[in-house]
Amino acid sequence: MAKSITLTVNGKSYSGEADSRTLLVHFLRDALSLTGTHVGCVVGRCGACTVMWNGTAVKSCMVFAVQADGDEVVTVEGLVKDKRLHPLQQSFWKNDAVECGYCTPGMLMSAYGLLQKNRNPSDEQIKKAISGNLCRCTGYGNIVAAIKEAAGNFTK
Amino acid sequence: MDFPINPPIGERVRRKETERFVSGTGRYVDDLLPAGTLHVSFVRSSCAHARIKSIDVTAARAMPGVRAVYTGADIAAHVKPLRVGGSSVLRPVKLYPLAVDKVRYFGEPLAVVVADNRYLAEDAIDMVAVDYEMLPAVVDPEKAMEPGAALVHEEAGSNIVYKFHFATDGIDKVFQDAEVVIKERIRSHRITACPIEPRAYLAHYNKDEDTLTMWSATANPHSLRGRIAEIIDFPEGKIRVIAPDVGGSFGVKIQTYQEELLLPYLSRELGRPIKWCETRIEHMRNGRHGRDQIHYVEMALKKDGTMLGIRDKIIADMGSTYTVDHSIQAAALYMTGVYQIQNYSVDALGIATTKTTHGSLRGIGKADASYILERLVDIAARQLKIDPIELRLKNFIPAEAFPYRNVTGALYDSGQYHLAMRRTAEMAGYDRLRQEQIELRKQGIYRGIGVAFVMEPTSSSRIHATGGYASCRLRIDPSGAATVFSSMGEQGQGHETTIAQIVASQTGIPFDKITVIHGDTLPTPYGFGTGSSRSSVVLMPSAWVAGKLMRDKMLGIAARQLKVLPENLQIDGGKVFAKDHPEQSIAVMEIIRTAYGAIHLLPENMEPGLEVTGYFINPNIDYTPDDKGRMNTFSSYPYAAVIAVVDVDIETGMIKIVRYSTVHDCGNMINPQIVDTQQQGSIMQGIGAALYEELRYDEDGQLISSSFMDYRLPCAEEVPELQLEHIITPNPFTPLGAKGAGETGMLGPPPALCSAVEDALSPFGVKVRETPLTPDRVLNLIEKAQATPAHG
Ligand code: FES
Ligand code: FES
Repeated sequence: MAKSITLTVNGKSYSGEADSRTLLVHFLRDALSLTGTHVGCVVGRCGACTVMWNGTAVKSCMVFAVQADGDEVVTVEGLVKDKRLHPLQQSFWKNDAVECGYCTPGMLMSAYGLLQKNRNPSDEQIKKAISGNLCRCTGYGNIVAAIKEAAGNFTK
Repeated sequence: MDFPINPPIGERVRRKETERFVSGTGRYVDDLLPAGTLHVSFVRSSCAHARIKSIDVTAARAMPGVRAVYTGADIAAHVKPLRVGGSSVLRPVKLYPLAVDKVRYFGEPLAVVVADNRYLAEDAIDMVAVDYEMLPAVVDPEKAMEPGAALVHEEAGSNIVYKFHFATDGIDKVFQDAEVVIKERIRSHRITACPIEPRAYLAHYNKDEDTLTMWSATANPHSLRGRIAEIIDFPEGKIRVIAPDVGGSFGVKIQTYQEELLLPYLSRELGRPIKWCETRIEHMRNGRHGRDQIHYVEMALKKDGTMLGIRDKIIADMGSTYTVDHSIQAAALYMTGVYQIQNYSVDALGIATTKTTHGSLRGIGKADASYILERLVDIAARQLKIDPIELRLKNFIPAEAFPYRNVTGALYDSGQYHLAMRRTAEMAGYDRLRQEQIELRKQGIYRGIGVAFVMEPTSSSRIHATGGYASCRLRIDPSGAATVFSSMGEQGQGHETTIAQIVASQTGIPFDKITVIHGDTLPTPYGFGTGSSRSSVVLMPSAWVAGKLMRDKMLGIAARQLKVLPENLQIDGGKVFAKDHPEQSIAVMEIIRTAYGAIHLLPENMEPGLEVTGYFINPNIDYTPDDKGRMNTFSSYPYAAVIAVVDVDIETGMIKIVRYSTVHDCGNMINPQIVDTQQQGSIMQGIGAALYEELRYDEDGQLISSSFMDYRLPCAEEVPELQLEHIITPNPFTPLGAKGAGETGMLGPPPALCSAVEDALSPFGVKVRETPLTPDRVLNLIEKAQATPAHG
């Protein structure tokens, strides 16, 4: 049954039709054309679809779009402000934390979720925060380093 | 070859492509949704081996939003089969986009639903009823060879679908006379590449133009174009294949798949864009699988540890369609590895089973060989009570012997094995480690040290198959910016950066003004798939050649105007000037203007414009064997020495990697940052293969590890302390001296970690011959060893 829903995504209000079974990730990608959020498994095991939902990093393949009706969502596209990369994005670039880029948006959002709550995370805390995000390319080392470096320059 | 390597080649330049990936503006196939797109979902075989008696699609056709349903038989009437396989013993088999009379593995596509969206397509596949006549599953490759076994391909008359034999004279005598013979059965278990982006395809037939555009997450766009043309009988020139950003491949996306060939047909039939993005479960079941070789292998040695010869019998499980028999040959040709062994024999058999088709995976074939050989060396060291490093140092090919022709005819370009091994031992503090191990054992801590020395032949070439050369077309635009059209696609390797570094170094065009286009068959010159690490070995040199041709042209134009010989000119800072009289100069922009506009000022016989194509041919390749069956099919030989330290918890079976130290030689590095990152990822993939990942089939041929739940990829918390170092021995046969950096990392962990665990558990006499080393398996090994009388 299609239902009309309204979400605030990256600070902008969007309305659209969603079936009761439409996943949030598909709604973001197909209805709102926000394709930065990726799909790697649709069963909550890879983290490529991670977004911020009401202030917490979640896997958007584990949420129905209708559950997010009236809520606030931030996707990777929302990290860029005034065409300037967010310190986390800059740090991923500088530390070569990216190869194919497929896991990257989800990694960034998990890191963003962590730094919202903890401005000075240890390596262990960082690894734990991204342990639900799989990367097959980089071996994670540079990602952890990038998040650590960005923690110092973190802005909301 | 002696060529200067000038900056920015060799610098840790920040990757160009990363900017779009961090900002979420990368473009992968799944991100594309042209108006009017229809979506497909596949009905897949629920059993491993069966004849299809009937398929009833009536109910599915009546489902909401369903536009069409096709079975294998419907499709087979309209497309040509792809001819795949073909080997020393078997003619190629016909592969249709959907199974026709028979299914040969669990998950094989046999019908397709086309619907308005992916949810509706998935709903409808459940309504398709398939009636099977069950046939026995063929799961165990050794049993599959026995007479009377059910046949995967009846027309072949046997499940043995590939044979390779090689032997040096007198090999049996070497074994008869040997003081010591080590004999083992070791298996490399079945795994898969598992990029985080699954496969994804979008075909769009444009009726008005009568053209077809295929977006595919492929690592092999030019070959794919040819195959589409062949099976749907459509002119190749009217097909454009575009691999946009591709989320990793590691071999699995270099091959052509059934679904990939079907979509163009559907789009032509229905006149709409047709899209399919596979699910993770489909990827595990249908993406190519790798490894899975059983080796019955023996090594003859002197008591002092001198290696004399190897005899091997390989049984390789090729799955249902055996498209890539060279995995077997690659293993068979390199079983002597980095050692001076000139007596060798091998009998290799490829066996068809009712499993997912075997195919490319980072280190294909060579990873099996290096794993099994390095385990064998370790077992020999333990038995002879010789230190595993000493045993290796005693038998390595010495640096002065390169280029070295191995026993099977492979030509190793260069190497310093002794140096790499010694440096790794120093870095890891090997002597101290052995001391610590004794101390810890007294405290009940089971620490193990594993040594391995792996070599990864790269840039393969085979007749009619792949890889003989690569090319880059380079244009300097009238504006002064440059565009490079690369013949190979990329899936995370950073070509947009490394190619730009090379072209900047040659032409003086600033790095930031160079754009690299790849993965699109329309503007790029023909080339082969990104695999076998051939981008470093042939693609980058082709960019170098293009850069050199361009440079020569620019200098030629300057020479005429400055009246200075080209060899006395230099490009720097946007100018070309005389080396001895820098005040005699001309701006690069002026040269560009001349080439395009003032062509009366060009040297005689020079073509106008600034556009060149550089080719580079894979060096030292033999396309046919010599009279003794010897041949070289790879052109570069990077390698790595490894020392892994582990602690094994004998209560839980858990393995903790205390430290992983490695020295890697991939020759010159175009961008050391990119090499480091790739190597870290490659090592983690190897750790996954050794400890966590396994594709397991039950006796009915059902794949039981088909999601991230039961096929576990390593995560961030499992990254051990890594010590990485490089030594550089350039490949003397390529202009850049690079050997390929992406694969060697993955080869190290399986042998090093298995040897380390065996070392840790040596008080129990545990023998590690099966992998991965999951906690269950480790506990089992301990239990089994305790039940049998202990060894020393
Ligand atoms: S797509 Fe959501 S976790 Fe994998
Ligand atoms: S960069 Fe490719 S999966 Fe992480």
